[in-house]
Amino acid sequence: MSSEDRVGEDSRNCIAVDLHDIQATILRHRPEPYFGTHVFLHINDAHGGREFLRRLAPHIGSAADWWKAGDAWIAVAISYPGLVALGVPGDSLRSFPEAFRAGMAARAEELHDYGANDPKNWERPFGSGQIHVQVSIVSPTEDKWHRTMETARQQYEGFSGVTVLLIQDFGAQPGSLNSLGYKDSIGQPAIEGSGVEPLPGQGRPIKAGEFILSYPGEAGVPLAMPQPDTLGRNGTYVGLRKYQSRVGAFNRFLRENGQNDEERELLAAKLVGRWRSGAPLTLAPAKDDAALGEDPHRNNDFTYANDPQGKQVPLGCHMRRMNPRDTKMPVLTDVNIHRLIRRSTTYGAPYDANTISELDDEGARGIYFLFISAKAMSTLEFLQQDWINDGTFMNLGSERDPLVGLQEERNTFTIPKEPVRRRIHDIETFNVLRGGEYLFMPSLSALKWLAGLNAEAAERPARHG
Amino acid sequence: MATQKQVKTKSEQSTDLEEKVQKLRELYADAPEIGKTALENVIRALKSGTPAKEPAAPVGTAGRIGRRQGKVSELTVIAPLAPGGAKRMRAFLEILHGSIGNEMVDMVGTVHDMRFVILDNDTKLLFCTAYDLDWDPYIEDFATKIPDILDLQFGDVEGWPGVRSPKVKDFIASHQITADFWYVANPNLTVVETRRLERIGKATEEFLDKIS
Ligand code: HEM
Repeated sequence: MSSEDRVGEDSRNCIAVDLHDIQATILRHRPEPYFGTHVFLHINDAHGGREFLRRLAPHIGSAADWWKAGDAWIAVAISYPGLVALGVPGDSLRSFPEAFRAGMAARAEELHDYGANDPKNWERPFGSGQIHVQVSIVSPTEDKWHRTMETARQQYEGFSGVTVLLIQDFGAQPGSLNSLGYKDSIGQPAIEGSGVEPLPGQGRPIKAGEFILSYPGEAGVPLAMPQPDTLGRNGTYVGLRKYQSRVGAFNRFLRENGQNDEERELLAAKLVGRWRSGAPLTLAPAKDDAALGEDPHRNNDFTYANDPQGKQVPLGCHMRRMNPRDTKMPVLTDVNIHRLIRRSTTYGAPYDANTISELDDEGARGIYFLFISAKAMSTLEFLQQDWINDGTFMNLGSERDPLVGLQEERNTFTIPKEPVRRRIHDIETFNVLRGGEYLFMPSLSALKWLAGLNAEAAERPARHG
Repeated sequence: MATQKQVKTKSEQSTDLEEKVQKLRELYADAPEIGKTALENVIRALKSGTPAKEPAAPVGTAGRIGRRQGKVSELTVIAPLAPGGAKRMRAFLEILHGSIGNEMVDMVGTVHDMRFVILDNDTKLLFCTAYDLDWDPYIEDFATKIPDILDLQFGDVEGWPGVRSPKVKDFIASHQITADFWYVANPNLTVVETRRLERIGKATEEFLDKIS
């Protein structure tokens, strides 16, 4: 299916954001199927880093005509140490939010990243401050992927200004399923002024300022923005969380708690709120419906109005936690201000339901979970604290998200049903965090500004002391 | 928040106690007689009684400032009031807060209590509250859901930027003072959990009534 089918009706006459200046990745859906590569780079010196950006800039995709499918594109984002390495002036550096400057690893306490998820256990180079630039190549075909990758490579290979730290291919998964065997990237926020109407069930469009800097957000005012305006305008933040899927533990859990395939698949659906095909339990409560899962005009077209207790979609499942929609919650919450644009990229061996050994839990497979928001740092902290690693907001006490929660001993997962709920004990952590970074995704004009930073001014402090 | 619990041996605990007692006695050397006698009584009781209990819940910090015990946090603010602000604030609290304000705070679902004290000849506000988890992440929800109540509650504080302002978190933190000591009876009970247990308790009684 082309991604054109996955966006809503045309409303191109009311475009209110500067699509030509915004990076493609912010609005363009991940294609299906998808192929791609993340390249993580280190800037060796300010001059070399700027030269690299100057070479790369013409190849970065803009969001113009983002609803058109078929092309591959390149995206770029820069970490705080990267901005420092580029010689961005001090005033400007100080205008970035504190959590961004500190970096994801340093915010481990706020993010509840401890135990197995502790940055101490991350894979290098994540969390070390070495990652300065992330370049991502995303493509709907294998052929275009190779060609676009080659274009990107020409900008950094054999060039002394930058060093490649890590290259990670992703995608090319059978049926585009993720590392636990589910279709993903279905639920996305509709964005006001982006040129298309919401899809059925997507909800009212969210103010552009929640996702792109310089536009009014849900509170009616733009968020604080990095200075100067040329740098901040039309930019946004990207959070990267590298998860390793413990596929063995996940499959063992399904087997221990389901007698046969049917029961196991229902349990797998209850953990997420959707069957593996993407069909939502609200619309397909008893059994999977692959055609429904496939259809972007139907697979998100539901609310929780008739399911207040979660007998179809458990209150504690991943999808309902991450987007409670119209769930009546005991804690005052504006569900429209904790939304994320998700660009999940699955890597490693495809999901296999017969993988059950503990050895399989250590295998290199999982998700590079990329999310985009003009306040990515505070949204992630909110989600990690309140919606992922706690259950109070859904009246579930200390229960945690079954897919991305960090489970402690004796944690549970509750499945509401008649006549009494089923509570599964001793749920394990199914996705372990192996790395993470916060990055700034500049607009195309900001990229040029960064590339053209006055070399004299930036290098003066180094020369004199 | 992530407080490491340290397990100490019995003898380590008792040397700890000796050191603390020593320090207290030094500090109380020039205390009034009543204080001195009370201290000695308490020390005697402490030494003869059972060893000190582990705290029921980890003690930590709430977000940037303030204390936290288990799931409950405290926020204490002292801030100057704008000229004429005290009068307006009192009127708002008396006339509106009891009705509509309380209802909104009920909806918030994380506030255990809230206290407004106008100090120093109407020039300052002392605001204290106990609430669940951290306030930082929720400010934005208040800003879009109940902005007017917050702007009425704090609008008379000198320099209040408005709850929708990106500066509001820094503003609150800049006036916040961490309590020196704070006791919480049920550190693991959030407002939501308390309400849930209340409902369950009632349902259980009804059930028992029916079957008896
Ligand atoms: C390895 C990690 C993860 C896996 C396997 C996973 C899997 C899924 C699946 C299967 C869905 C349902 C299909 C869809 O709407 O795309 C979903 C939805 C979603 N996930 Fe995740 N996810 C992961 C990590 C995360 C993280 C870390 C977050 C947030 C910080 C997140 C936020 C969401 C959101 C917002 C939705 C959409 C909910 C809706 O709109 O109804 N996911 N995820």
